[in-house]
Amino acid sequence: MSDLPVVVFPVKNLDLTKSEQKVVEKLVEAAKSIASIYQKQENQKFPGANFYPHDAAVEEILAAAKSEPEILSPYTIVERNRSGKLVSIPYHIKFKKDLGKTSALLRVAAKITENKEFSRRLYLQADALIDGSYEISDMYWITMKPYKIDIVIGPLDRLDDRLLFRKTSFEAWVGIIDEEKTKKAKIIQQSIYDVRRKIFTLSEKADFLDKTKLRVDKTLIFSGLFARGMFTSNSLPVDPNLMEKYGIEITFFDTSLDIKFESQHYPIYKSIFESKFQKDYPRDLLREGSFRNVLLHEIGHSLLRYKDSERRLKELFPVIDELSATIYGIKSCGSLVLKGIMSEKELEAIMIMFICRAFTWWIDSQKQKSVEPFAVGHAIALNHFLANGAIKETGGISWPNFNKMFLSIEELSDALEALISMGNYSDAQHVIDKYGSFMVYSKFENRLKGIT
Amino acid sequence: MPFMDKKFILTRQGLTSLKSEYDELTKVKRSQIIKRIQIAREFGDLSENSEYDAAKEEQSLLETRITQLEDVLKRAQIIEPVKKADFVVIGSTVVVEMNDEVHKFSIVGSMEADPTESKISNESPVGKALLGLQVGETIEVSVGPVKSKIKLLEIQ
Repeated sequence: MSDLPVVVFPVKNLDLTKSEQKVVEKLVEAAKSIASIYQKQENQKFPGANFYPHDAAVEEILAAAKSEPEILSPYTIVERNRSGKLVSIPYHIKFKKDLGKTSALLRVAAKITENKEFSRRLYLQADALIDGSYEISDMYWITMKPYKIDIVIGPLDRLDDRLLFRKTSFEAWVGIIDEEKTKKAKIIQQSIYDVRRKIFTLSEKADFLDKTKLRVDKTLIFSGLFARGMFTSNSLPVDPNLMEKYGIEITFFDTSLDIKFESQHYPIYKSIFESKFQKDYPRDLLREGSFRNVLLHEIGHSLLRYKDSERRLKELFPVIDELSATIYGIKSCGSLVLKGIMSEKELEAIMIMFICRAFTWWIDSQKQKSVEPFAVGHAIALNHFLANGAIKETGGISWPNFNKMFLSIEELSDALEALISMGNYSDAQHVIDKYGSFMVYSKFENRLKGIT
Repeated sequence: MPFMDKKFILTRQGLTSLKSEYDELTKVKRSQIIKRIQIAREFGDLSENSEYDAAKEEQSLLETRITQLEDVLKRAQIIEPVKKADFVVIGSTVVVEMNDEVHKFSIVGSMEADPTESKISNESPVGKALLGLQVGETIEVSVGPVKSKIKLLEIQ
């Protein structure tokens, strides 16, 4: 892809002081500056993008990593030397020139900000980009007191490495906290966290709930992989061992979700559900349902982290991981409805939006391969719904049966958690083979024309 | 029970807290918001005055809450703190098993329900179902697609 991976969101009424505005300007500039690095990493033609030589097979890479483990590091590019041997080059050396510029912008922002903790955070991140000390910076960010301005910048998500799911892509976001929405989101989070649940394999479970932080942001910019994927939320760090040690920071990008809802979720809803059915679900209820899908997905992630799951499921891990998080989150709403924290109608809106978001992932996966695990995961759920009679597909999904759908969600949730906590690669492959077919999406292709 | 006869069940602490909120809204916040509206008016052209619109919206929310509180305070019914009972009453803290999960919460009047403090309304499906139950008993609750057997494990 040649277009620059940067999305700037038009956000108003930010309530920032002049000094804070200057800080934000520099951070947005820093975020923009890493887009060119991401362009050097991305390549949709190859499953290993530009992280590995295009002629290198998985077996060769794994064999080379035995003598040089850094080949599998999330923060190195793998190349061939003159004799054809695979060697690794750290990102901070490979992209030294570009990262110097980004680092300098972060230092300028660090000097301007009046918040000492945030200043320290920016200096540490500036250091990390030029010396590779990412963990020190990330952990400071996760453990610092939440501040109204937030930036995440550097090599983070591994979705572009479809070969081995190891290498991280450069990306960035800048956001300003939305206090009111953050407060509301925390009510649902706390209500789900309060429950003591059955754990499949206790020794495997990464436990860090008391160290989990959550914020809903008005997002100002996406850069790198984030701009390509137009994500609506993120949980960091990704390593369960680091999560257990330092906690987890969940961020929701409300501005991005607004765009997704208006351009995809709602138009998909209008296209695939019968008009009589639609009368019962006002737009605002569905918008909230869409946000809650994202919220429940991230809450699910924080509850379903098992230490060894990535090693067992290999490159199939993201498919099972992303689906199980959302499904578990929706299942958890059952007790919220019974306790009067959520209404039955709100739960139905969540299930409707789950279906619409599934189609969104499918549409997006045709443009951006890195989001394919989400599309495959959601196909598993939709096919399971079809098999159980929870949705019909003749001439559009008509009158979904919510009783059957919730039952299907409960069944899937238990099966997926068993898989992620103790299943192996062939178990995951079996589930994907049985339910992961994209036919479920293409049946509706004609109805979705014009939605991109 | 017709809606107008409805009593709002509150603990003494809950009543005090609602009274303080009412005093704060009527004696402090109400005049503050009127002042904000006056200042915003001076900015001119009300059709494109976002500060004026925001202040008016806030005033509307404030007045709705004041009316709600007046209604609740007029029809409040105080319940005394419960000593440990053999069965679930409003004010009980319970431990229950629902779908292989263990939940602990208190059952309170609807005005004091607060999920962040594990306080569940007596009018919620679970609240209604548990009132009067004894330890060891199981009951089925269902709301739309959600169905669950609830076993009462403990009353604290």
